[in-house]
Amino acid sequence: MALLAISILISHTAFAAERLDFSREILPILSDKCFVCHGPDAKEKELRLDSFEAATGDRGGYRAIDPDKPEASEVLVRIHDKEDPMPPVDAEKQLTDVERLMLEKWVKQGGNYAKHWAFIPPVKATSQKSVDGYVSAALEKKNSNLAPEADRATLARRAGFILTGLPPEPEQLEHFLADKSNGAYEKFVDAMLDSPRYGEHQARYWLDAVRYGDTHGLHLDNRRGIYPYRDWVIQALNDNLPLDDFITWQLAGDLLPNPTLAQQVATGFVRMNPTTSEGGALPQEFQAKNNFDRTETLGTVFLGLTMSCARCHTHKYDPIVHNEYYSLLAFFNSTAEKPLDGNKYDYGPALKAPKDHTAWNAWEAAHQEALELLKPLGDEAKPWRERLINLSKQESQPKANELATRLTDLEADFTTTLVARELEKPRPTKLLLRGEYNQPTGDALEPNVPAVMGALPPEAPKNRLGLAQWLTSRAHPLVSRVLINRVWQRVFGDGLVRTPEDFGVQGEQPTHPELLDWLAVELQESGWDLKHMLRLMVTSQTFKQESAWRKDIEDPENRLFSRGPSFRLDAEVLRDLALWASELLDPHMGGEGVKPYQPSGLWSALAHPASNTKKYERDQTELLYRRSLYVYWKRTSPHPMMTLFDAPNRESSCVRRSRSSTSLQSLALFNETQRLEMGRKLAERLLREGSNDTERLDLLFTLLASRNPTATERNACDSLINAMRERFQSDAESAQALVSVGEAPRNEALDLTDLATWTQVATTVLASDVALLLY
Amino acid sequence: MNLHDPHFENRLMMTRRQLFGRSALGVGTAAMANLLGNDLLASSGPAGPGTHHPAKAKRVIYLFMSGGPSHHDLWDYKPKMQEMFGQDLPEYVRDGQRITGMTAGQKTLPVCPTKYKFTKQENNDRGVYVSELLPHTATVAKDLCVVHSTFTEAINHDPAITYIQTGSQIPGRPSLGAWLSYGLGSTNDNLPGYVVMHAHSSFAEQSLFGRLWGSGFLPSDHQGVLMRSQGDAVLYLNNPKGVTRKDRRAQLDTLVALNQEQHKRFADPDILARIKQHEMAYRMQTSVPELMDLSGESDSTFELYGEEARNPGTFAASCLNARRLAERGVRNIQIFHRGWDAHGALPKEHESQCKDVDQGCAALIKDLKQRGMLDETLVVWGGEFGRTAYCQGGLTRANYGRDHHPRCFTVWMAGGGVKPGITYGQTDDFGYNIADADGNPLRPQPNKDRWTPGTMHIHDLNATILHLLGIDHRKLTYRYQGRDFRLTDVHGHVMYDLLV
Repeated sequence: MALLAISILISHTAFAAERLDFSREILPILSDKCFVCHGPDAKEKELRLDSFEAATGDRGGYRAIDPDKPEASEVLVRIHDKEDPMPPVDAEKQLTDVERLMLEKWVKQGGNYAKHWAFIPPVKATSQKSVDGYVSAALEKKNSNLAPEADRATLARRAGFILTGLPPEPEQLEHFLADKSNGAYEKFVDAMLDSPRYGEHQARYWLDAVRYGDTHGLHLDNRRGIYPYRDWVIQALNDNLPLDDFITWQLAGDLLPNPTLAQQVATGFVRMNPTTSEGGALPQEFQAKNNFDRTETLGTVFLGLTMSCARCHTHKYDPIVHNEYYSLLAFFNSTAEKPLDGNKYDYGPALKAPKDHTAWNAWEAAHQEALELLKPLGDEAKPWRERLINLSKQESQPKANELATRLTDLEADFTTTLVARELEKPRPTKLLLRGEYNQPTGDALEPNVPAVMGALPPEAPKNRLGLAQWLTSRAHPLVSRVLINRVWQRVFGDGLVRTPEDFGVQGEQPTHPELLDWLAVELQESGWDLKHMLRLMVTSQTFKQESAWRKDIEDPENRLFSRGPSFRLDAEVLRDLALWASELLDPHMGGEGVKPYQPSGLWSALAHPASNTKKYERDQTELLYRRSLYVYWKRTSPHPMMTLFDAPNRESSCVRRSRSSTSLQSLALFNETQRLEMGRKLAERLLREGSNDTERLDLLFTLLASRNPTATERNACDSLINAMRERFQSDAESAQALVSVGEAPRNEALDLTDLATWTQVATTVLASDVALLLY
Repeated sequence: MNLHDPHFENRLMMTRRQLFGRSALGVGTAAMANLLGNDLLASSGPAGPGTHHPAKAKRVIYLFMSGGPSHHDLWDYKPKMQEMFGQDLPEYVRDGQRITGMTAGQKTLPVCPTKYKFTKQENNDRGVYVSELLPHTATVAKDLCVVHSTFTEAINHDPAITYIQTGSQIPGRPSLGAWLSYGLGSTNDNLPGYVVMHAHSSFAEQSLFGRLWGSGFLPSDHQGVLMRSQGDAVLYLNNPKGVTRKDRRAQLDTLVALNQEQHKRFADPDILARIKQHEMAYRMQTSVPELMDLSGESDSTFELYGEEARNPGTFAASCLNARRLAERGVRNIQIFHRGWDAHGALPKEHESQCKDVDQGCAALIKDLKQRGMLDETLVVWGGEFGRTAYCQGGLTRANYGRDHHPRCFTVWMAGGGVKPGITYGQTDDFGYNIADADGNPLRPQPNKDRWTPGTMHIHDLNATILHLLGIDHRKLTYRYQGRDFRLTDVHGHVMYDLLV
């Protein structure tokens, strides 16, 4: 078996006539098996195999790789040496036979090196011009092609979930199905992109990546004033703020000339690291730890690289030198907040910002009016506020007076949000030996970027703004790839690079390298237009394929994208779907994190007695029914309905959630208070809108699956309906108990037996894969 | 489930590939277990093909004393300190050791001898001194492997507890329990594989964090399952009022039919895996109450554990639950007991704390032993660091407090392949530094190649726990961000001196 596998591989790669691709075929082997000792972090005088120059250098009469006499290369001798092999016998990782053959072939071809693919800026290949072009071309190599298109209703449901996190409204669906014109689907997609639900849904992915939480995260894990940042993210995505600005404002909004309120609120990103104020904590220690966290999060979110290795020593695999880590860290070392949070809500610098979406709009409107009013008067050097107040003092300017009063009133209702500010005098940054906060060494380092990813643009200031300019420059090899890969991942279920957190030498190779680069460049050329990119993806034939597993092609992980996307929906989506179907969903946007039902004692079992998040005080009324991205995020104990369904704790960056199936999920789907309440309200809707069981089932399936039930599904549900009806007819007490779960008032006009029966049916279908999956 | 379904087989192959690709030796049986159902693994047993080497222990029960129990007042007998009551701790003892922000400002660091009487208990070694605060534990001294020379680098709770439970002071890594779950899977179809309990304490002074039993970057089904004494024993376990078990069966029958229809259409093996999980949930609804129902326990059980064990949520009840879980094949059990952070009123607090845990600890050991389970069950007792030799705040003979101390603290283990009745390592006359046999301070600076005999870094402890369960801590890895992460980072040495 093993021999067979080797010979197949060999025939495909090592012994095939074409030259090996160093970056994709050889570097991963060297990195994984050799770089631990012979990589960028090799000891002095030790052989290095991470560059051609080093590998071919004279080592006293012999060379590790000898391009003139490849057969004499020491590397070849040693990898086959039985007595004194490389890697050594006790090395944790050994070469496989295939890898030995690959290395041998590579050395014999001259041992040429090339830069790791991800460090070379992407260019658009000319072979194809669309998503489908690249995907089809890869399929054709396997003598296959794209799967047939899914039916239109399924497509509508799919696009709704991917773009807005909710299925289409029944009327939208009906309208779309009736619209037989060309471009009907594109119109439908545009409507989804224009929905305010779009920004809420897309924001979730970003909030995972930046580890957004409503608490400080460490020790007392007290409340933190930061939710205006979350609301800004939603608004920015709904406004389709170009992603380069999206990045710049978050990293350095405060350093822009005359920054707007929104630009400053966006810098909450810089303040998102978990913090502490534990009694014994030492400021110097946490100044270092907070910076580690930010530097490494920057690595994950934008660079798709793990920086943490370089905290203690030069990176073992990727060409990032120890002091480059600290040069990068230096960008964050001069922000003005104290290293310890004082357990304070307004752990400054902080400013006041509107407390929800409505308040933002009202303030923004007044602000715009003020700017209009001031425009003809010139004098723009002075802050607009000062000019408005001056103007309002003139009796001839009642409008200015009214505006100033309105703004003051609106601002009285503002809330605290943490922001970034730069110290007047930067803190010196030094390399820390082994990453120990109390071992600074060498000269102070200037803020700078790792050389392997280019250089700061010539005019860029050496601060966070310069960092943002570097990240968003066209020459940056990674940022556009990393971002678009995650967009692809959320649309298709898996990225083109399946290790979205690692584009380094140890990461996975892209399944479709040219497509990844094509998309990355398209993102830049489109003006960093996220909606454009999403539109391009969801209108592709690749996206529209049926998602059933195919018998005619071996592609279990869908690495060829030979079928449409299918996966279990995320925690938030599962809750939102049920809130929406049951018409409980409160559309209110933004505001302080909400606290829906939660079993008692979860927080108090963990919390410090002095913590102000010790007691979970459940919300009342419509706050119980806000969209799930507004659920309060206590980092040391997030809501169980989130974590049970794989939401991260937001203590560290997460760019890919797991998708587990557990028995605890089953219990939650059937027994959690809100699930039961949503089941009941959905039942009320079905009873109200459907006049018989058939109509009710049709509506139930239309809401959750965008289609009517099949005969089998109908039978399965009918038997439950019959069993439950019989049972509740003879046991009104049970029926009463079941329909009394949750705060939402019961529709007393409905028959008790019917309601209890349909509550069971709705809860069951909501828990089934009919509702749980994207397909 | 139809194992001959070609799509399912495909998926299986894929999962195997991931396993072998991701974890160096393909230990991660858990991912397989979830997919296949545990029945297929049952034959493999704890030392089966899933482990790196034959396991000494089938399971671990970790009694975690959160806050840092005082080794001075419980385990580490230092008579010479009595003579130096109130004198400033000699400079040479501290030797540049950093001090937390809480005592860094104190003018003096007065030597603070314990007020408690210690009695030497015979064991199979040089004997072990046990404080009068632990009268029950003293009776099992012959079963304990007491390590006086445990140490860490972290000096504050959050980093220290995160360090000992996840191998890193900064949040984001999987917990010890999650690693074990990933490595070992579960041998019970009806109960979760990794169970965490929080026992009551009168002094719940320090916080716990979800990350201590969280899965970090491992697949999230490896996170610990909280078994609670309040409300549902397992979150959302019980049907709502008005829904009987028969009703739920009817619901599940419908759900299974719907899911099978879904599978017929999409052929996604995940759908089948999910059906299995729904069925397991249904079984858990009887297996967990059966587990929690102590009515079948004899009077002698409650004599052993104490009447306290009848009150859900007490440490004693948690220990009894741990034994019952162990009997039912749960391999990975952790009890967290808070309140050991005695900065000011140590005697009052520790007396209460010890009363909480002492009898339960001893009872658990005895109970496992009498059932023939101790040999295959590793029991671990300890906190995240020790406490200082000097007093924090006002010092009297009757009352004192102690700050955090990372340089040495006492941890004990029992059963599951550790030598019974041994005393390992020692500290200097001040219980401040780990010392050699002559009392000279050792300054262990471990790295991956260097271990100082007589010492046990927390990475060494974790490496040893994994080792006893059949796992090589260097080989149980998970690739994340391009690095093959492991619990012990690049550190850790198995403590062979402690093993049978």
